[in-house]
Parts: sequence; structure tokens; C-alpha cells
Amino acid sequence: MNSRIILITGANGALGRATAQAFLDESPGNFVWFGINRRREHAEALAATNPGRCRIISLDVTMPDAWKSVVAEIVAVHQRLDVLINNAGTHDDALLAQMKWESWHGVLAVNLDGVFHGCQAVMPVMISQRNGRIVNVASLSALVAPPGQTNYAAAKAGVVALTQSLAKEVARIGITVNAVCPGYLDTEALAGLDAAAKKKALEQIPMRRFGKPKEVAAAIRFLACAEAGYITGSALKIDGGIF
Amino acid sequence: MNTSTELKGEIKRLLVENLMLQISAEEIGDDQPLFGPNSLGLDSVDALQLVVALDKNYGLKLSDTEVARKVMQTVNTLAEAIQKHQSLPK
Repeated sequence: MNSRIILITGANGALGRATAQAFLDESPGNFVWFGINRRREHAEALAATNPGRCRIISLDVTMPDAWKSVVAEIVAVHQRLDVLINNAGTHDDALLAQMKWESWHGVLAVNLDGVFHGCQAVMPVMISQRNGRIVNVASLSALVAPPGQTNYAAAKAGVVALTQSLAKEVARIGITVNAVCPGYLDTEALAGLDAAAKKKALEQIPMRRFGKPKEVAAAIRFLACAEAGYITGSALKIDGGIF
Repeated sequence: MNTSTELKGEIKRLLVENLMLQISAEEIGDDQPLFGPNSLGLDSVDALQLVVALDKNYGLKLSDTEVARKVMQTVNTLAEAIQKHQSLPK
């Protein structure tokens, strides 16, 4: 299998790490860049166990100039960038009636603007290569918007729409753009729920269990592989059968 | 064959190869419009690819939409812009 250069944002979280691991396992020649804004302890641990195969780079996904310099650095090192995984995300749940504008804006800035800036930043290199894979991490909330997540659901629905529109724009250039829509995952975000909320969430899932980050990571890796070259504009839900 | 003729041939080959046109480079006229009626039939996605190709091959950056529109009219206008760019002091 050929070696590939992959950039994953939000790589300090459970899904980001699992995705990074999936690409590291895919081929010994793969090189993974972890785009991280703040906390990086988990990513550093993963990088330490894969010396010479990954690198952590500071990236605030809401800043277009930060994206430009990250992509420029990657291209300076490898002369190419094959895969972008827009995984960085945040949530700040509240009922709309009580939601502060900062909460609305902050969630859209990271979850939607960040994807826009990322896709725009990699376009010149991927167009030049006439090849590229972009996978955007959306959410089941984009498709089945729950109460208390107007900001998050709107942002993730925007990610799905952006994915579908961009996929059509660049399809004939050899670039595919897809999204995944994970449901409840056994990650840090779920750890914040109390026992009653977890029980209620489980009751909604036909499989009666939460998803594992590596199950979503496998789908992301597949959508980014050469064999998935005819799949573009899709929004793959990974939710244990909820929808 | 002068430099300008060579450059125009190069641009035509770049158009055919990068935009995967189903014609040969020799079939493209120097003054044939690239976009619009009676043109080569390029669209906005082709324009996007052309902007990237011009930057990659000649270092010509067309970040201003109006300038890009003027430059990407014909092979002749492309050649003029490239030559002008190449003559600038580095």
C-alpha cells in the first residue's frame, strides 16, 4: 500500500486519536499530522509510540492564516497532502431561549467555519495533485437535531451541506469529500453525562450500546482510501441504527 | 519559432492536460475565448484548476477575481500575463 500524508484536526480527542491510529495501522509509510489547538497530552503519547511517523502542529481551525501556514509546512516537508480529516469540534449545549450569542458563534466558528477554512486551505495542493480525500466529521445531530443543540446541530448540518456542495465542485478533479455522522460515542463527551442521561441515550439506540471511536475511525479511513474513489458527497451515519 | 509561440503552445498543452479537454492542443486558437459563447467551453471549476496550474507552473498568482477574468480570456491574454509576470524583477 502506498504511503500517504494525512492531516487530522482535533487529534487529541478520542475520535481523533482513533482515526490517527487507523491511518498509522493502514501503512507503515503513512505520516500523520495532528492539528491541535490547546490540549495535546494524548496526541503526544500517541506520537511518542510512533516515532518518525507523526507530528503535532499547532492549529486553531477558526483562523484561515493558521490553516495556510500548516498546509504550507506540510507541503514543504512532503511536497503533498493526500488526506484531510476535519475532526475538530466543540459543543456548548443550551436551550435557544437561553443560549448566549457567544455560545452560538463559538460552536459555529469551530465546527463549521473550521471545516470551511480547512477545505479552502487544502484546495490548491489537492487540485494541483489532481487527487485528495477530505472527510468531515459531522454528527447524527445534523440529521436528527435534538433539543438543546441548535448551535451544534446547525453547525453539523452545515458541514453535511458543505460536504455535498464541495463534493460536486471538485469531483472531476479527483478529490472526494465525504462526511461521517456519528451517534453516541463512548468518548470524553459522553463521560459528562450522568447515569440517568446515559440510560436514556442507550434506550434510543437499537444496538443498545454506545459506539466505539475506532468504529467511526474505520469508516473515516475507508472513505479516505483509494478504493473509495467513487464515493463522494456522502454523509455516512454511524449510530447503532438510531435513524 | 519565437518565445511567444512556444509559450502559447505550452499553455495549450497545459489546458488540455490539466482540464482533461477532449481536443488536441493544436485545435485551440490563440484568440479563441476560453469561456462563454463560441468558446472552448470552460466553466468555473476549470477556471479554479487553471488558477492553480498558472501558479504552479509559472508562479502567476491570480487572487483578484477581476484580474483573473481579464487574464483568462484567451491563450493570447494568458501568454501576455505570463510574459509580463516573468519580466518583473525577482
